[in-house]
Amino acid sequence: MLTDLYTQRALVWAFANRDFATRYRSSVLGWAWSLIQPLATLVVFAAVFSIVFRIEAPPLGNGDGSSYAAFLFTGLVTWNLFSSLLTLSMTQLKSNGELLKKVQFPAWTVILGASLVQLVQVLLELLVLILMFLWLRNVGWTWILAIPILLGTMLFSQGIGLMLSIVNARFGDVMYIVSVVLGALYFLTPVLYPISMLDGQNEWLTLIIKLNPMSWYVQSMHDVMYTLVAPPALVVVALLVGGFLTFWAGFAVFNRWSEDIGEML
Amino acid sequence: MTPTSPLAVDIEGVGKRFIRHTDRRNSIKERIVRGRSRKPEDFWAVRDLSLQIPKGSVYGLIGHNGSGKSTLLKMIGGIYRPTTGSITTDGRVAALIELGAGFHPDMTGRENIGLNGSILGLPRKEIAAVTDEIIEFSGLGDFIDDPVKHYSSGMYVRLGFSVAVHMKPDVLLIDEVLAVGDEEFQRKCFDHLYALRKSGRTIIVVSHGLGQLEGLCDEIAWLERGVMLEHGSAVDTIASYLRRVNADEAARNPMVAAVRDDGEAVRAGDQTIRVGSAEIVDLEGMALSHAETGATFVIRIGISSPAPVLGPNVRVALQHDSGSLVTMVSNHQQGVDFGYVDGDHTVDMALTDNPLLPGRYRVHIDVFDHTGSRLIDSWNDAVEFAVRSQSGEFGQGFVKLSAQITIS
Repeated sequence: MLTDLYTQRALVWAFANRDFATRYRSSVLGWAWSLIQPLATLVVFAAVFSIVFRIEAPPLGNGDGSSYAAFLFTGLVTWNLFSSLLTLSMTQLKSNGELLKKVQFPAWTVILGASLVQLVQVLLELLVLILMFLWLRNVGWTWILAIPILLGTMLFSQGIGLMLSIVNARFGDVMYIVSVVLGALYFLTPVLYPISMLDGQNEWLTLIIKLNPMSWYVQSMHDVMYTLVAPPALVVVALLVGGFLTFWAGFAVFNRWSEDIGEML
Repeated sequence: MTPTSPLAVDIEGVGKRFIRHTDRRNSIKERIVRGRSRKPEDFWAVRDLSLQIPKGSVYGLIGHNGSGKSTLLKMIGGIYRPTTGSITTDGRVAALIELGAGFHPDMTGRENIGLNGSILGLPRKEIAAVTDEIIEFSGLGDFIDDPVKHYSSGMYVRLGFSVAVHMKPDVLLIDEVLAVGDEEFQRKCFDHLYALRKSGRTIIVVSHGLGQLEGLCDEIAWLERGVMLEHGSAVDTIASYLRRVNADEAARNPMVAAVRDDGEAVRAGDQTIRVGSAEIVDLEGMALSHAETGATFVIRIGISSPAPVLGPNVRVALQHDSGSLVTMVSNHQQGVDFGYVDGDHTVDMALTDNPLLPGRYRVHIDVFDHTGSRLIDSWNDAVEFAVRSQSGEFGQGFVKLSAQITIS
C-alpha cells in the first residue's frame, strides 16, 4: 500500500492541483467560503444550543470559566474532517466517471487528490480554532497531542470513505443511506454536548455513543484542545493505529473491488 | 514479419463477458425486493481471441458496430479486465479512446496538458519537456492559457490528440479518433503517426475509415460478433471484409431494375421504338443490387418496335449523384450496328472492368435513328445504381483510369 501511495504521488498531486485550482474558481469570495460556512454553522449552533437548550460547556483548561462556542468548534472541526472526507470520497468516482471509463489509472488517486484539497480547508478551520483559544488564553502542551489524534481521524475517515466510495459506485443508494446515517451519527457523537452530560442517562444510548469511534476522536480533541488534559497514552496510540488500520483496510477493499471500475460506472 | 520478432501485445484466448442490464438492478432495494432470482443475461463481446501484435507495427481492427473492436481495445488498455485468457503488453500503453477525456473545463489548456500527462503516467519532468511541443502541434497559440470550456470543439479535439500522441507511449491505442480537425491538422496527425511508427512505437487503430487504414496499417484483424474472422495484410483483410459487406448489402437491398410506367404521358421522339425496361445484371444475367469498381457489369435494356427500324442508336448516359454527367456510351460509338430492329429485343451493354469509382449513378436512356440525329425515344432517370469498392481503394472523382506508368 505504501509503495502504491508513493509511486502514484504525482498523480494524486495532479488531481489535488486540479481540484484546488477549480474549487472556487467561479465564485467571487473563493476560499473565504471554506471559512464562512463553518463559522456560520458555529454561530447558529452556539446560539441555539447554549441559549435555547442551555447546554453548559465544561470549564476551560485555564480555569477561566467556560466557552460553549470554543467547545463546539473543537468538536465541529473534528467532525467536519470526518464527514467531509467521507462525503467527498463517495462522489469522486462518479464525477470522474468519464475519465475512469476511458483511461486506465488507479482510481483511488482521484479520491485522495480531492481529500488533500479538503485538508486545506480543515487546516484553515484549525487555524481559526487556534486563534480562538489564543484569544481565550487557553493554551497547553497537550495541544501537541492533537496532531496524532487528527492524523488518526483523517486516516480513519479516509479508510471508511474509500470503502463507501467503491460500494457506492456499485449501488447508487449507498450515498443516501450514508447521509441518513451521518445525520444520526452527528447527534450520537459528543459534538454539541459534553460527554459528561451522559452520566445517569439511558444506558443503551450511552453504550452506543461510547461504541462510536468518532466519539473517541472528538472527545480526545476536547481533552487536548479545550480541557487541556492529556488522555491516556494508550487512547492516543489506539486512535492513531486504529485510524491507520482502517485506512489500510479501506485501501485493500477499494483495490479489490475497483478492478472493474471501468464497467461499473 | 518473422514469428520471432518481439511482440508489443500478446493476446491469448481472450474473452470478455458482459452482464446485460436489461433493467438495471443497481439499487439495493431492487436486490432485496427481487433478490437474485432472475438470471442475468450473459453477452460475450469478445470470444476466444488470440492475436500477436509485433513491436513497431501499425495494427488495424475493423468490423461492424458491436463487433467487439472497442472492447478489445479497452482490454489492451487495461480499462476492462478479460473474463478469460490473458493480455500481455510490453511497455507503457496510452489509450486514445476519447480525445480530451480527462480535460477539466475550468482549467486552461496548459493546465490540462499537465493533468492529462500525469493521468497517462508521464513523469512531471517529461511533461514539462513536451508541453511546448504539444502547444506547437495543437496550433492553439495564445488560446492555450484560456479555460478549455471556451474552446471550440475543433480546438478541444486538437489539443486532446496532441496531448495523447506526445506522451511517448510504447503502445498507442486509437479508437475512431483519426479524423479530427481540419484537413491540415489531419495531415499533421498522420505525419506524426508515421513518425511514431518509425521510432518503433506500436499503434493499434480501430476505425471505419478503410481508406485511411489501408494506407496506415501493416496488418489488420477483422472482428465480427466478438470473433476474429480474419487477420493478415491490410489490403487482403480489407478486401475480404468488403466482399462480405457487399454480399450482405446485395442480399438485403432490392435489385436495380425498372419497368417503364409513365402511363399516357407524352414522350419525346417519334416512338417508332420504345424503351420498356432497364436493369443491372452480371455477366451471367443475374440481377444485381449494385455494381463494383473493376468488375464487369451489364446494363440491360428492353426495347420494342411495332415496325422494323433500321440501325437505331441506343445511348446510355451516366450521371453522377453530384449532377455531373460522367460519360455516355452507345452502340454507334462502340461500332455496333443493330441492323433492322423489329419486335421485342434486349440490349446488353457490358461495361468491361467497370471503371466507375464508388458512388451513386443515374442512367438516362435515349434512342436515335440510324443517322444518330433524330430522337426516337427518351427515358430519363430509368434506373439508379450504386457502385461499391471491392478492395478498399477509394479515390476522388468518377472514374479509375488504367495507366502504364514508367520512370526513366
